[in-house]
Amino acid sequence: MELDGKIIGVISDDYKEEDYSGKRITDIITFKIDEALKMVRLNKEIKEKLFDELSSREKSKVILASHLHDKEIRLVNFSKGLIKKDLNYFSSLFKRITSYGRKIILIDKNMELYLNCVDHIYVIKNAEIVYATKNIFDRELSKYVDIPKIVEFILNSADNGIRLDYYKELDELLKAIYRIKS
Amino acid sequence: MNINEDKNYVILSNQINKVLLDKYKDYPIIDKMNFNDLVSKLEFFSSKRIVFNETFYYLRNTEKQVILDLLDKQHIKYIIITSNIEDVLYGDYLIVYDEENIVVEGLTKEVLKEEKIMKKIGFGLPFAVDLSKQLQYYDILYQTYYDIDSLVGELWN
Repeated sequence: MELDGKIIGVISDDYKEEDYSGKRITDIITFKIDEALKMVRLNKEIKEKLFDELSSREKSKVILASHLHDKEIRLVNFSKGLIKKDLNYFSSLFKRITSYGRKIILIDKNMELYLNCVDHIYVIKNAEIVYATKNIFDRELSKYVDIPKIVEFILNSADNGIRLDYYKELDELLKAIYRIKS
Repeated sequence: MNINEDKNYVILSNQINKVLLDKYKDYPIIDKMNFNDLVSKLEFFSSKRIVFNETFYYLRNTEKQVILDLLDKQHIKYIIITSNIEDVLYGDYLIVYDEENIVVEGLTKEVLKEEKIMKKIGFGLPFAVDLSKQLQYYDILYQTYYDIDSLVGELWN
């Protein structure tokens, strides 16, 4: 199935998470391991550990590190275990990676991950595209997934007669509310 | 780990691993499970407390609420282990871990007053809490809101 976009968000239950149980990190990240670990913000000490010993956050980072040199990087439930700070960092990293002509497919239902990086969103069921959009503020998306909180706020405000621009950062939204209220 | 039997807990952690889970091994732990299977399992659940180990990652907000209502109906208390700051609002008591250390704990609304600590670790605050706190600095709001509907209602009506 050909999907358009550079950083693509896919909402689907069709894909399985990668599982490297029983493997050492050195067996999972096989190319330029030190650089790859640094890029995903993991310490070198992790190299000798088993995948099973890692936290879910570290597992997600290791899986990304193992795919950093793929032409098409496909990540299933990458946001599991990640915290807000990570989501901001990886949004920037994904943009940097795609600037080198590569493609990233995020199969993930955590739309907070999509907010600042994804350019196309697909809903896929049983290997069929059932919905596609380029706009994370598309109301149809809420039929399939929980939309990001800032999107929910802006759409909910619109329902209450207050039209706000499609802000993706809290600071911008805050300034807009201040302008309206003052 | 001292658990008050009347409270529902959320454990917010940036390192959810075996070491963390072992602290809660006295209770049955549920891992990844889809919504329907989870409902079936909980309908015949005999324990008085359950631990959700990142189970909520796989559920929609409406599904989470159905699960929690089901537990409430059966008088089953819960511990939610999560890295998602939005999930903290499902508990009465919040324990925040940075790596393997507890950095702050207490009643959820009290812990969420520790804005600097939460942001320094990288968890941030739940969106409605964060926005309403920022709007208090601008003298636009005078209290903290915990859900978007009430926040929007107060702001625009």
